[in-house]
Amino acid sequence: MLTAQGQQDVTVSGSVQSDMLLSTQNEDDKYYESGDFMTNTYLDVLLQSQYIDAGARMEYMEHPLPGFENDFKGWGVPHFWVKGKLDKVELTAGTFYEQFGSGFILRSYEERSLGIDNSLLGGRLVIKPMNGVTLKVLSGKQRHYWKWDGGLVSGADAEVSLDEWVPSLQQHDTRLSLGASWVNKYEEDEDFFWDITHRLNFPKFVNAWDVRTSLNHGPWGVLVEYAQKTQDPSYDNNYSYDNGHVAMLSGSYSKKGLSILLQAKRSENMSFRSKRSQLGTSMFINHLPAFTLDHTYTLAALYPYATQLASGEWAYQAEVGYNFKRKTPLGGKYGMNVKLNYSYVRAIQSAWFKWGSDTYYQDLNIQMTRRLTSDVKLNLMYMNQRYNKTVIEGEGGMIHSDIFVADALFQLAPSTKLRTELQYLTTRQDEHDWAFALAELSLAPHWMITVSDLWNHGDTKTHYYQGQLTYNLDSHRIQLGYGRTRAGYNCSGGVCRFVPATRGFTLSYNYNF
Amino acid sequence: MKVKIFLCSLVSLFTMACDHIDENDRLIYVEPEPLQRTVLLEDFTGQKCVNCPRGTKVIEQLQEAYGEGIIAVSIHSGPLGFKGNATALGLATDLGDEYYNHWQLEYQPVGLINRHGAVNYTDWMTKVREEMTKTSTIDISLDALLSGNQITITVSEWSIGAYDGKLQIWVLEDSITATQTRHDPIDNDNVTINDKNYVHNHVLRAAVNGAWGEAVTFDANESKTQTYQLSVDAAWNTAHLSIVAFVYNDNGVEQAIRKVVR
Repeated sequence: MLTAQGQQDVTVSGSVQSDMLLSTQNEDDKYYESGDFMTNTYLDVLLQSQYIDAGARMEYMEHPLPGFENDFKGWGVPHFWVKGKLDKVELTAGTFYEQFGSGFILRSYEERSLGIDNSLLGGRLVIKPMNGVTLKVLSGKQRHYWKWDGGLVSGADAEVSLDEWVPSLQQHDTRLSLGASWVNKYEEDEDFFWDITHRLNFPKFVNAWDVRTSLNHGPWGVLVEYAQKTQDPSYDNNYSYDNGHVAMLSGSYSKKGLSILLQAKRSENMSFRSKRSQLGTSMFINHLPAFTLDHTYTLAALYPYATQLASGEWAYQAEVGYNFKRKTPLGGKYGMNVKLNYSYVRAIQSAWFKWGSDTYYQDLNIQMTRRLTSDVKLNLMYMNQRYNKTVIEGEGGMIHSDIFVADALFQLAPSTKLRTELQYLTTRQDEHDWAFALAELSLAPHWMITVSDLWNHGDTKTHYYQGQLTYNLDSHRIQLGYGRTRAGYNCSGGVCRFVPATRGFTLSYNYNF
Repeated sequence: MKVKIFLCSLVSLFTMACDHIDENDRLIYVEPEPLQRTVLLEDFTGQKCVNCPRGTKVIEQLQEAYGEGIIAVSIHSGPLGFKGNATALGLATDLGDEYYNHWQLEYQPVGLINRHGAVNYTDWMTKVREEMTKTSTIDISLDALLSGNQITITVSEWSIGAYDGKLQIWVLEDSITATQTRHDPIDNDNVTINDKNYVHNHVLRAAVNGAWGEAVTFDANESKTQTYQLSVDAAWNTAHLSIVAFVYNDNGVEQAIRKVVR
């Protein structure tokens, strides 16, 4: 970070992220050829001062990594913004990200691993007229890779924290907030023939609104949110004129090593894009949070769930975590943490409380984390999963799998750690059984060496091996690797992209300044 | 203009139903366009593609309205194509995959309409309507005669202007019963079945003169005739075969024709 001393301090900060792949073979892949060099590279620069901030981002994806949509290819400066800050008012012009509530009707965000960037280009005004009140008004066009060719998105949001106004709530350790949002999409009419002699009469304006409240009292918490969308015939909903709805109820309890989370959500016809004919992963105005655990273990993430925005779903999640104290019969010398998570997603019917016939996804997993000695820590997981591949990927039927994970961390020396993973997935469907092993040696503060192998021994007998060498120096991080990856889905928060198989050298460089 | 739109947006905040379209107002009648030319619709489909029968349904509507004015070719290909196994017939081919990859297609079903870029199946009706109003500078006639195991194909083209492109000849087969993953009914997202008795039509079986055809060049008012001999594959039902011929270049398909093998 650089600071220019003048009448006002101006700080300059930023980051570089570059991921590269040099392909060495393409025997099982048709997307690129041996010797192809691919990179996704980002350079962010941010200037900050007392009253004005400004930023820009350059992106270079002229030869992008495999698996992104065709329109992802390109390069340029798609982000540029300036923000004025004065007391209780903040005005942004240019590109910006925003989320109203849980994102049911507006969430513009960036998720580089999925190629998602639906930032808005326009203006946003944020006012905090008094304590506990935040008002937002915005209008802009969504980024569609290297174009801004969707409709105009406008909206407003109000968030009120009542506990800031009512002292008795604070005195009783209670926080109560209310929120309301509205989003409008304006999209011009277009010729779209439903049959040979009839074109559809599209609504030019689509409105969506959202109301929510959250109440926290001591260890207890409740969040209720409901959103509705007016007629929005689109590719996603087969040009249906039905309204969209989503309702969510979430309750939590957290105290002294015990945490409980219970959630339920029903959504229907809530795919909301700034271009009605768009398909794929771009131009979504909203985002519905997934009620499934985002797994990080390779085999637990082999069949990841993607939220069914248009067709709708009933989704439930329950999670209980308990920390067994040290020096107790179950906690042992160092204590033990146990977490049980269950999620279930099912088709809907038009009647609100009725389930549809198909189960989309089910995940029951239990994790236990325990330190065995002062130098050895163990994490064990068992997971039972049902994954409706036909619904999520288009074909393949229901896959029912059992997954076992053992993750051990060994402190070999004060600056030397070894982490190992052993994983096994067994299923009678799809490509049958998989095994995975990983060893990761950390030599603090600079080096890390990782080797892993993902092996399908139930069907294809293929090994997907990887080796990586990572070097950290101050705010620089460089990682060199070689390996082979399988074709599959990469998901985050219920949004997925298909990644084709790769084989080759990888180089990643990250730098923050 | 944007200010006006934003103000209207604000107004609509208070009148949420201002842009509500009643059931009786959702369709706007538009006069049918006169058919100026034949349109080639390449349907990139797959037996594992649950939404592909929806594309087929659009094709059936187009064929009902335009008859021989629309030539549909189902190219089984891509990640949702099925090449068959010991127990089930597969319709996907390496040829189909070559086309799928060449056009850098991303989803299925997706179509090429006179080879002017990928079009979602929901937009086929609109794009075909646009395309059929364009005039063509080339006329084609075609004949396909079966004798024993051989099909003799005769194609004649006449161009009113200079043209530089390629002539492509394909073999199609109708009425093939094979599995298809689909919704049941087709418009219902909530139920998916594996239909073993699905009837596939206009399935691309083979390219007669190479995957990308042969070069043809015309001066103004020039005509040409080509003759091809093709051996019938044992897997094909000769009662349901037809031949498609079309002329194309980088500007798209200029003219196309389909004839049943006699």
